[in-house]
Amino acid sequence: MDDAAILAGLEEIIRELFDDYDGPVTPALAAADVEQWDSLANVQLMVLAERTFAVRFTTAEISGLANLGELAALIRAKQG
Amino acid sequence: MSAAVDAAREIAPGAGPATTRLIEAQMRAFPEHEAALRKRFALADADPIFCETLAGMIERIAGETLAAVCDDYRWLAGAVLEEELFFRREGRYRLTSFAEAEALVYADAAYMTRYMNGLLLSQLWWANHTAVLAWFRDRYLPANRPGARHLEVGPGHGLFLHLAASDARTSEATGWDVSPASLDQVRHTFAALGKAPPPLSLVNLFEPSPEQFDSICFSEVLEHLETPAKALARVHDLLAPGGRAFINAPVNSPAPDHITLFSTPEAIVELVSGAGLVVEELLLAPSTGASLERARKFALAISTVIIARRAD
Repeated sequence: MDDAAILAGLEEIIRELFDDYDGPVTPALAAADVEQWDSLANVQLMVLAERTFAVRFTTAEISGLANLGELAALIRAKQG
Repeated sequence: MSAAVDAAREIAPGAGPATTRLIEAQMRAFPEHEAALRKRFALADADPIFCETLAGMIERIAGETLAAVCDDYRWLAGAVLEEELFFRREGRYRLTSFAEAEALVYADAAYMTRYMNGLLLSQLWWANHTAVLAWFRDRYLPANRPGARHLEVGPGHGLFLHLAASDARTSEATGWDVSPASLDQVRHTFAALGKAPPPLSLVNLFEPSPEQFDSICFSEVLEHLETPAKALARVHDLLAPGGRAFINAPVNSPAPDHITLFSTPEAIVELVSGAGLVVEELLLAPSTGASLERARKFALAISTVIIARRAD
């Protein structure tokens, strides 16, 4: 799966989970940009991404990502 | 004035001095929690007067160990995130039996200290916890009859029991727990708050007792039990006819020692009704910053509080 497809899949999750957010979803999007993106919602985001892309994250990976672009890159790496 | 105090005042501009001091201490131990604290104190229902009362109590209970207590809250936040991850992946709590919780949590004194310290601060940092305590003081206790005999089962830190024991309508208050360490915690709280502790007893709720009470507080216990329906039946039997109960349990709230998952507030209401108690009032307090609608949609934690009465 290429970067564009991964980002499109992540955008769907973001739009569903953070339904108050109507700004752009770009690789630079980070938790600080989205009011509803707190630590518990971050866990939900990661588990939804695991299901969507058939990957599994470690706890350190879940808490260590700076933005959506890093998440997309991690998914791509895990998919090989 | 230090930068930390400035930061704390910016996080909660309308907060009183004790609240500001607690935020300052928490920011020193857990600066990554700033966004969560900002969200918590931006809420319209973050009543600064009640928060200040609560902060003053927490400050006195923590005493000289406040920095360590703040470190323990940081640890708790990490532990809860681990459980949240399991819950979101598996759709259930990690533990399913009291024996597991006993072995992994309750029998480990060091673990319990950190856990209880962290939970002490959660009373202020988690909006739903604060809301439940405020409702107990402002809604439940004022409707007790004068001279009420009050029991709390599983009093935790003793904050609810202290409020009940301090209420003018309470003639006698008492606390039951199965853990001597928990009762010691309550004694510490009363000593820190300058009040003689009420009678505290090692009692298993499931064992028969001839005593009856006009008022029972049963807060954050059901989710720790394998047989919550049986426990509520005991609460019913321990109430005198016409007696009232304050029953609080969370839905979708993974934690290291939670074993019974309630998926909806209605499941808890049904359980209370099923025990023969008449549900009179209901408070649904979703996790910090979430609307009730959002909490239901995404299966977030909701503190479900029921004021019930024994009819007969």
